[in-house]
Amino acid sequence: MSTDDESFHPLGSEWEDELETMLDDTEYDTELGMQMAQDAFRVSKGELSEAEFHEKYHDDVMEEFGEDERPTKEAYQKMQAEASEEGTVSRMLSKFEGDGEESRRDAMKKMGAGAAAVGLGAWGTVDDGPEEPPQPSAGDTAAQADEDEDDGVQWGMAIDLDRCDGCLTCVSGCASENQLDSGVNWMYVLQYDDPSATGEGSELARPAGAAANRLVRPCQHCTDAPCEKVCPTTARHTRDKDGLVLTDYDVCIGCRYCQVACPYGVNYFQWDEPDVPADAIKEHYEEEGMGDHMTDDRGRWVDSRAPRGVMSKCTMCPTRQDGQMGEGQVGTTACEEACPTGAIQFGDMNDPESDPQKYEDNPARGRTLWRVNPPSADELEEDLDGVDDDLESVLEATDLEEDELTLIKAVDIVSDGLYDGDEELHSHDLDYHERNFREALDALADHGLDHDSEEVLVGLGLADETDEDEEFDGPDERDAQMELEAFTGSPDSNFRLLEEYDTNPNVIYMGQQPGPNAEQTEPTGTGARYEQLSYDTVTDGEIQIVDNRKDVLDEDTVGGGLFS
Amino acid sequence: MSTKTPNEQDILRPIGIDKISKPYLALFGVASLAFGIFLIGWFYQLWVGMSVTGLSDWGTGGGVTWGLYIGAFIWWVGIAHGGIILSAAVRLLGMDRYMPVARLAEMLTLAGLSAAGFYIIVHMGRPDRMVTSVIGHYHITVNNSPLVWDVTVITAYFVLTATYLGLTLRYDVTRMRDQLPDLFEPIYKIMTIGYSEKEDKVIERMVWWVALAIIIMAPLLLHGGVIPWLFALLPTYPGWFGAIQGPQFLTIALTSAISGVILVSYAFRRAYDWDHIITDDIFRGLLLWLGFFCLLFLWLQLQQLTAGSFSATIDHQAATASKLSHPAYIVPMLMVVGVLAYIFATTLRPSLFNKKRAIGAAVLVLIATLVEKTYFVVAGLWYPAFDIYSATPGEYFPSLIELSSVLGTIGMVTLFFLVISKLVPVVELHAIEHLRGDHGHGEHEHEEPAESATDSEVKA
Repeated sequence: MSTDDESFHPLGSEWEDELETMLDDTEYDTELGMQMAQDAFRVSKGELSEAEFHEKYHDDVMEEFGEDERPTKEAYQKMQAEASEEGTVSRMLSKFEGDGEESRRDAMKKMGAGAAAVGLGAWGTVDDGPEEPPQPSAGDTAAQADEDEDDGVQWGMAIDLDRCDGCLTCVSGCASENQLDSGVNWMYVLQYDDPSATGEGSELARPAGAAANRLVRPCQHCTDAPCEKVCPTTARHTRDKDGLVLTDYDVCIGCRYCQVACPYGVNYFQWDEPDVPADAIKEHYEEEGMGDHMTDDRGRWVDSRAPRGVMSKCTMCPTRQDGQMGEGQVGTTACEEACPTGAIQFGDMNDPESDPQKYEDNPARGRTLWRVNPPSADELEEDLDGVDDDLESVLEATDLEEDELTLIKAVDIVSDGLYDGDEELHSHDLDYHERNFREALDALADHGLDHDSEEVLVGLGLADETDEDEEFDGPDERDAQMELEAFTGSPDSNFRLLEEYDTNPNVIYMGQQPGPNAEQTEPTGTGARYEQLSYDTVTDGEIQIVDNRKDVLDEDTVGGGLFS
Repeated sequence: MSTKTPNEQDILRPIGIDKISKPYLALFGVASLAFGIFLIGWFYQLWVGMSVTGLSDWGTGGGVTWGLYIGAFIWWVGIAHGGIILSAAVRLLGMDRYMPVARLAEMLTLAGLSAAGFYIIVHMGRPDRMVTSVIGHYHITVNNSPLVWDVTVITAYFVLTATYLGLTLRYDVTRMRDQLPDLFEPIYKIMTIGYSEKEDKVIERMVWWVALAIIIMAPLLLHGGVIPWLFALLPTYPGWFGAIQGPQFLTIALTSAISGVILVSYAFRRAYDWDHIITDDIFRGLLLWLGFFCLLFLWLQLQQLTAGSFSATIDHQAATASKLSHPAYIVPMLMVVGVLAYIFATTLRPSLFNKKRAIGAAVLVLIATLVEKTYFVVAGLWYPAFDIYSATPGEYFPSLIELSSVLGTIGMVTLFFLVISKLVPVVELHAIEHLRGDHGHGEHEHEEPAESATDSEVKA
C-alpha cells in the first residue's frame, strides 16, 4: 500500500482521485464527501470519535441531503447501547434512511458512491478496536459496500415447480414479448427423470395430481454472476438500481465467454440476423405507448431480442420494471403474466412483503390463494339475500363449499392480513387473490356470518371447542396451516440452483430439486410440446417455438453436405 | 551431408526478390490460396453471421458455443512458444547448438501469435467493437476477466518478442548491409536507425534481459497461465476445472512448439541447402526434447484420467468417461504415444533416426495437439456440472469455414515466412560466426545421411 503520497486513503492518491471523480458525477457536494471520507478514516484510527464525527457534519449533511438521522452527541450513548448486534457501518448508514421507505442503497447514493466507498472501509474497522490499523483494500471496500447494499430492490422469482403444468405458456409469452427467434428460449421448461427424486409433496399441488419432475429455467440473475465477472467489456452487468443482470447490446463483442462461464446454460447468442427487425419492435411498442421495449431508463439497450453477433438471455423485463409499459407492469414479467397456475412469482427478493417472498414463506398458502376461487362479493350478496346468517344456511345458499370456506378462512388465519388496498391488480399478483379472499369473507361478515366466532371456526375445524369456563382464544393457526397443507401439499424442498458454486442466484425454487443424475426426457416441456407452439411477431409473421436451437442454426451451417 | 564451412553468403541466399524460385512461387501460391479461401469464408461469416459455423449455444441450444476457433487459437499460442524456448535455451542457458534455428523459432513466435490473434477476431460476433468495447473498459475488466488477461499477456508477449527480434536483427543488417538488396533500403534504414558498434554490448545485455522476461512470462503466464485459466478457473466444468490445466497446457504448447520449429527448420534447410548450418544434430536434439515433452504431456493426461475415474464426483466421472471413449481424445493420445515410442527407440538405436521420420513425428504431434485441444474445449461444454439438458445434447462438428481456418492460418504463417525470408536473414550472423569459429565444434557427429530428403513438399 502506498503511503508516501499525501492521500488519506490507504490505497493512495490515485484511488482517491478516482473516488473524487465518482463524486463529481453525482449531484452532491464532492468536497463534503471527500472531507467526510477523510474524517471517517480518522474515526477508524481513533483520532476522532464517532460522536464528534456526527456532530461535525450534522449541519452540512442536513443542508446537502435534507435529512440526517445519524445521532448527535446526545443520541450517541443510546445508540452505542443498541449497537451490539449490528455492525457499525450498517448502523451508521441506516441512520441516513429518513422516513424508512428509502433503501440503504439509496442512502448510499445520496452520500455519494465515492464517499461511501472510501468511508466504509474505515468504518468497517472501527468495531475491531483501534489497536488494529485500518487496512481496507479495494476488494474489501467493495465487498463491504455490497453487504450493506442488500436492502435495495433485487428482482427475482420464486418458482413453485409442483405447480408447473408444463404448458409452456411462459416460454411463448417471453418469446412473444421479446420477439425472440426460434430456439431462443430465454424462458425454458424441461422435464426430467431422476433416480433420486422422491416426488413427495407434489401430488396435492395440482388438481391434476402429481406433476412430472420439471424445471422452469429463466436466468437466475445471480447476485455474484459468473457471466458478469468474466465479461471482457462490461457489457454483461448488474443494474445498480434493482440487481437485474443485463447485457448491453451496444457494447457486447460476442466472445461468448459469459455463456461459457454461466453454470446454468441460460445464454443465447444471436448467431445470425434476428427474424424481427429492431425498428419493427420499436414501432410496435411505441404505438402502444410503451417506450421502445429496448432502451431502459439509463438509456442502455438491454431489452428485447439481441441484434446479430451479441449475447442475449432472460432479462426479467427491465423496461417493465422501469415503468415504461405502465405502472401496473412494474413488478411483473411476461412469463409470470402468462403462467396460468401461479408457479412463477416475480418480485423484490429483499422485500418480505413481495409475492415471491410471501409465497416462499408459506407455499401452501400461496397455492391455496391461486387454487381457490371464491364467488365474488356481489354474487354472495345476491345469493344471501334473505338467507339466515348461520354457517349452514350460508353454505346452502351460496356456491361456496364448506371445504372452500375452510380454506379461505385458513388463509386469512395464517396471514398477517389480506390485501385491502385499491390498486389495479392483475390475476398474477398474489394480492389480487388475497383481495378476492378478503372480499368474500367481508361479504359473509356483512351478511352477518361472524367467521371469527367460535361457532363458525369450530364448525370449519379451524379452532378447538372450549369448555364452558374457558375463554375462546381465537382460531388455531396450526390447524389452519394443516388444512392448507392437507389441501395442496407443501413442497418437498426449497432450493436455489447450484448454490454450492456461490453464484447467489435470485430465483428460489420450491419442489423437487434435480439431483446430479437428473436427465432431461424427450419430449420435454410437457403438457405441450415446443414444436406445437408459435407466436405472432409484430411484423405479422409467425415464429415457431423450437426446443433444440441447433436444428434451426444448422440450416445456415456451411457443411457442404459433408456432415449431414 | 557436407562439411563445408558456413558463410555469410549462405544466410544471404534467400534474400531479395531476384532470388525467387519456381518452388518458392508455387509455395507462395498454395499458401495464398489456403489463406484466401479462408478469408472468403470469413467474409461470408461476417456477412451472414456466425450461424455459418457448426456452433450453437450449450444448454438448450443443442451445441457448443466455443469450438475449433478456440481450439486452434490455443494451438497457435502453443506453437508460438517455440521461439521462446529455443531463444532461451540459446541465450540464457548457453545451448549454442540451437543457435542456427533460434531466429526461425522467434519468427515462428511472431507468426504464431499473429495467427492466434487473428483467431480471436474471427471468433467474435462483433469484431468491429474490439477496440471500443475492450480497451474502453480495460481498467475495469482487467481485474476479473481471464479473457482480458489473455489479450494483455499475448500483446505483451508479442511486443517483447518483436523487440527482441528487432534488436538482434540490427547487428546482422548493419554488418551485411552491402549485400542486402537496395530495394528494401528504407526498411533496413528504419531497422538500423541510430546504430553504432558501441551498442552491441548494450544490446547483448538488453537482449539477455528481454529473453529472461519472456522466458519467465511464457511458461508462467501464457500457456501455463492465462490461456489455461480461461478454462481451469471455471468450477462448473469438471473437464476443465483444476490446477493441472496449467502444467498440462504448457506441455501441449512445448510439444507443438518444438514440432513447429522442426518443420520450419527443415523446410529452410531443404530449400536453401543449409545442411551444414541446420545440421542433423539439431534435429536429433529437437527430437529428444520433443520426446521429453511428449512424456510430460502423457503423464499429466494420465493424472487427469486417474483422478477423474477412481472416485470422482458424478459430473467429473462423466467428463472422464467421455475421454476414454471419444476418438477425438483417444486418437491424439495414441499418436503422441507412437511418437514417444519412436523417439525412445531412436535413443536405443540411433540408426532409426532420419529426418523424414522426425518430420513425421512433428506432424503427428501437431495434428494430435490441435485435435486434443479442440476436443478439450468442446467436451468441457458437453459435460458441465449442470448436466441436465439431455434432450438437447451438444452436437458439434466444425463447418467447412471453421476447418478452412486451420489451413488458412497455416497459409498465413507460411506467407509470413516466405515474405520475411526475402527481407532479412532468418539465420543469425552470430550462428555463422559461431559455427565457423573456434567454438569446439570439432566433434560433429555427422552421420552420412542415410537418404537425402526425397519428400516432395514440406509445409511450414
